[in-house]
Amino acid sequence: MVKYIAKRFGQIFILFYVFLALLFLLLDLQPGDISQQFVGNPNIPPEAKVIMVRQLGLDQPKIVQLGHHLWNYSFGMDMGVSWSSYPREVADILFTALPRTVFLFLTATVLSFWLGFYTGKLVAWRRGTVVEKSVMVTSIFFWTVFYPWFAILMLWFFASQLGWFPIGKFITVETWIGSPFSADSVFILMLTSIAAVTLVYGILRLVIDRSTDDPRSRQNLHRIALWSLIAVATVFWAFNSRRTYAMDILWHTVVPVLTLTLVNFAGTTLLTRSSMLETLREDYILTARAKGVPESTIRDRHAARNAMLPVTTSLVLQLAVVIAGGVITEQIFSWPGLGRALLGAITAEDIPVAMGALALIGVLSLLAHLVADITYAFLDPRIRVQG
Amino acid sequence: MAQTLEIESRGGKAGTPLLEVQNLVMHYGTKEGDVSAVEDVTFTLNNGEAIGLVGESGCGKTSIALTLLRLLPDNSVVKSGDVRLDGESLIGLDEEQMRRRRWRDISMVFQGAMNSWNPVYRIGDQIREALRLHWPETLTYQEETERIAALFELVGLNPATMERYPHEFSGGMRQRAVIAMALSCNPKVIIADEPTTALDVIVQDQILRELKKIQKELGMSIIYISHDIAVIAEVTERMGVMYAGKLVELGSTIEVFHRPKHPYSYLLLKSTPSITGPRRKLAPLEGEPPNLIEPPSGCRFHPRCPFATQQCIDEDPPLTTVGEGHSVACWHWQEVPEIGGLQK
Repeated sequence: MVKYIAKRFGQIFILFYVFLALLFLLLDLQPGDISQQFVGNPNIPPEAKVIMVRQLGLDQPKIVQLGHHLWNYSFGMDMGVSWSSYPREVADILFTALPRTVFLFLTATVLSFWLGFYTGKLVAWRRGTVVEKSVMVTSIFFWTVFYPWFAILMLWFFASQLGWFPIGKFITVETWIGSPFSADSVFILMLTSIAAVTLVYGILRLVIDRSTDDPRSRQNLHRIALWSLIAVATVFWAFNSRRTYAMDILWHTVVPVLTLTLVNFAGTTLLTRSSMLETLREDYILTARAKGVPESTIRDRHAARNAMLPVTTSLVLQLAVVIAGGVITEQIFSWPGLGRALLGAITAEDIPVAMGALALIGVLSLLAHLVADITYAFLDPRIRVQG
Repeated sequence: MAQTLEIESRGGKAGTPLLEVQNLVMHYGTKEGDVSAVEDVTFTLNNGEAIGLVGESGCGKTSIALTLLRLLPDNSVVKSGDVRLDGESLIGLDEEQMRRRRWRDISMVFQGAMNSWNPVYRIGDQIREALRLHWPETLTYQEETERIAALFELVGLNPATMERYPHEFSGGMRQRAVIAMALSCNPKVIIADEPTTALDVIVQDQILRELKKIQKELGMSIIYISHDIAVIAEVTERMGVMYAGKLVELGSTIEVFHRPKHPYSYLLLKSTPSITGPRRKLAPLEGEPPNLIEPPSGCRFHPRCPFATQQCIDEDPPLTTVGEGHSVACWHWQEVPEIGGLQK
């Protein structure tokens, strides 16, 4: 297992450099080049242009430029300076936007996976009923709907017509006037508490699994651990002065998360259903029946557990699309994340920021793949051995 | 503790009837019409006995096995007849009562290969699942592990391998483990449906010997189902020959092999080579099994039968006794010649 993970890590590392090099080449292939665009100002005398070109390193051979690019992006930890909001560093802009994007899409992905898997499982189990047919029709609608239109429709309905939720944006400015906390510090604290609960729960699970062999007591202990951690987190926030501000941010996430969840959940449902119908035909399902395993256990422990494998694979592929598709979502919901930073940078011809955003989106996709590969190995013992 | 390790048959006194199948009729409903898969089948399995059902693919062998466990697909209907275990009708039980009987009273050895094991769970844990469901008293995890280890030893597997996943087992090991799982809850009856079909002949032979040894030692009652008459010859005391959903001959294995009375049994034996017996010309069985949606009138075998007369087309022959414990459903059983059997 360790070997498997190490190998995947190595592959991701190499892929990262290939990706960076491709980004560089892509930029280089653009008609005209940066020097013309940046140095093309008639008010700047030709001598100044030559100096600038030299300062930017554009007179150096392409291969040296590529080397600089790769070095600065990895070990140099330097993504350059934004052109449109000049002295601000690209890294600063992007790493402020990054957690917002990750939060939005991770929540939506986890929710839609859980919901879609559960629905797909039940629907496959009740094949041929009215419930199945109506879920199928609904899912196909969400799956094929033109996403930007649907997002605007959701905003119109929930924010404009019902007025339950704000029309996009990250925070309500009025609430935050005079606030002793910055929006980012509150948001980061929220993310930290979610990450802490997840991490501590994971560690507790490992400890529990080491201490007892009996699945029944394991399961109970897992539940106790999870609920007490959630209780601790709830108490922490209930007595925190940042509570109101945190609620404001949370309130702004509802409609975008709901929209993304609805669209993604449909795909998971459809896939789970067909995958489940296939596993239900397997011989080991008949074995389980012959063993006198109750029907609900056959569904959950035998059929759904195996049906999960292809669904996980598709989730990975979907994840990359979702992150890239963030441009549309964030634009419609005025969500100040990575996608919006990218779109803003492209419109303003701010090449360093655009490059940085593209690189970061690429890294996120690579990491998503890595996580999914590891999850897959945990789910399927056959993958583990092959390494 | 010793109780949990005891691997035994929970059947009654040897020789008394255990499982009785009486005039069983089972059809599958399809769009084209009713498929008469099992037609008026009657046989009895006695305690401590191994019997076999042999026949071509689609003759209803597996349908009978699935009827005994009530695992048939939704489109099947048991039209009439009964299955009695220790005098109690299994057909009349409700779904939950039947679920509790499965594996506890009747367990099954499925066709080997990868497929009867769930790929994502350890072999040991899959046997543990059966113990959790059906063992009368609650065992601790340790006791369960000990019992699984004892089962593994009985079938010739290293107990340490119970931690492995199905894909880490060879075909033969998987089949042994399937047998261990079938024995896990001390059942009364084991149904072995094509227990060795997916294995090569060497492993097939080892597994059959192992099964036979266990059956004798534990006094287990087993129904073997196979298309391979050599398998049936090796492990059973009595056997039934099935053709197109009907039981056409029933008798002691030696008797049927040496003096088959049904033309189908006779032709089936003639078409099988004997390795150790006298060299003889093989006679292939001509024709194809009939369409069971519209089965032939009278005797279902008449279109392929060399002895067929007008009576065979008009009237269905009843199963009649022709010798001690030997019965056959044929109008012309006296005309069927003797053959030397399939010597082992």
